[in-house]
Amino acid sequence: MNADPVAPSFSFEIFERIKPDEYFRRFIEENVRPDGRSLHAFRPTSIRQGAISTANGSAMVRIGGTTVICGIKAEVAEPRIDRPKDGYLVPNVELAPICSANFRPGPPSEQAQINAETINHVVETCQILDLSELCIEEGKAVWTLYADIVCINYDGNILDASLLALICALKDLSLPKATVLPSSIVQADSSEKTRPLQLRRLPVSSTFCVFSNPKVTLSDPNDSEESLSKKIVSIILDTEGTILYVHKSGGSVCDPEMMKDCFTKARARASMLKELIERVIV
Amino acid sequence: MSRLELLTPEGLRVDGRRPNELRKIIAKTSVLAQADGSAYIEQGNTKVLAAVYGPQEVRHRMQILHDRAIINVEFNVAPFSTSERKKRSKNDKYDNGIKLQTSQFPRSQIDIYLQVLQHDGGTLQACINAATMALIDAGIPMIDYVCASTAGCIDKQPVLDLNYLEESSDSPELTVAILPRTGKVNLMSMESRLHVDMLESVASLATEGCEQIHTILDAVVRDTTQHLKDSLMQ
Repeated sequence: MNADPVAPSFSFEIFERIKPDEYFRRFIEENVRPDGRSLHAFRPTSIRQGAISTANGSAMVRIGGTTVICGIKAEVAEPRIDRPKDGYLVPNVELAPICSANFRPGPPSEQAQINAETINHVVETCQILDLSELCIEEGKAVWTLYADIVCINYDGNILDASLLALICALKDLSLPKATVLPSSIVQADSSEKTRPLQLRRLPVSSTFCVFSNPKVTLSDPNDSEESLSKKIVSIILDTEGTILYVHKSGGSVCDPEMMKDCFTKARARASMLKELIERVIV
Repeated sequence: MSRLELLTPEGLRVDGRRPNELRKIIAKTSVLAQADGSAYIEQGNTKVLAAVYGPQEVRHRMQILHDRAIINVEFNVAPFSTSERKKRSKNDKYDNGIKLQTSQFPRSQIDIYLQVLQHDGGTLQACINAATMALIDAGIPMIDYVCASTAGCIDKQPVLDLNYLEESSDSPELTVAILPRTGKVNLMSMESRLHVDMLESVASLATEGCEQIHTILDAVVRDTTQHLKDSLMQ
């Protein structure tokens, strides 16, 4: 179905608003995306550590337009009885209205909760951090790391950015030396820091967006692409290539070839991010 | 137990400033792509991000005003922003004291979102300044800038622009917001005890601080606009 010839100057913006599917399809037919990227290109990624000096560890990550800041605050808590040496890592994702007109103020939206839960799941089951490093005194006091991930600009693919920010903030973290006094008060000396945490593995996430018409898979969807298709595939690998987590949203089918293709791209992305992290993190 | 000396006999404060010195200010506009207008302000170690969305359709039909726009302010403090982690309730309402020509946009809504990334004293004033810059960046007509500054009193000496350490001591904190062109006071807020004799000097010091801030913010806005103009002319 052909559109009528329209006056050149402002037509494509109106066309994008009225018929976003058709607008999108015309780009894909030429093997390019509306923002000029190739179908499998990830957006430029940058990391900055130590952005927040009031936090014990922090990092700011930008993937294209999506910008997130992760700040980690450490507090003392009692350990669980069955795990007297293990501390806690509590991730939390905040998608506030400041980052996009699509979010409303109020309790965390479903999307924020899903992201937080995914990150939490990866951290726990894949044991990226040895929680006994957070021990102050066995059975009495351990560190709880509250990792708050705040999105300040939303342009799609929040999961990749959040996970990367969390990892970099953990690598930036320095805990004060703490001792438990006989009176059961924990004294923390902020002038003396312990050595940085050792992460057992670095999980890296790659997200893809599946379209059925046209039949194509795009890497690293931005906000407009995400709104056109809700079918997301997320693959989390560690930097050595081990698969940690795979999620393909239900409700649509895709070829096994396409899934294999996603894994290949995710591996390439993981090694690229490994280099970036090593370059940026001191 | 030794008490931290907030003001040494030579007249220097904890961070080396003189009593009438502002902290270093860094201000930038158009920092967020999604928002209609945005600004980022750093006053010393206090970092605030402001985003403005609007004028747009009113979300709740019952609130529509037929002759003016509604202004909605949401204030969010990041949990990692203070020295002890605090999970703040999202809808802390702060009277922002912004002066807008709301009669130009009847039946619409202007949303102002503030995100405090790091808190080192003077959050309210940083938020007001950031919101002003973001509104200018969004192109919403305003009567004048709203510039805010804090002032307090340490050992009978008025001091300008308190940081967190000074705020949490027993120094009173007075926040003043003015419209610089006319010098009229838009907002004055204080939640601590101050002797009435000191009020005059503290308030005038805060007003002076506002004027200084206005100069800085105005320079940033003009600079950004100049860049925009230059790039459009090419």
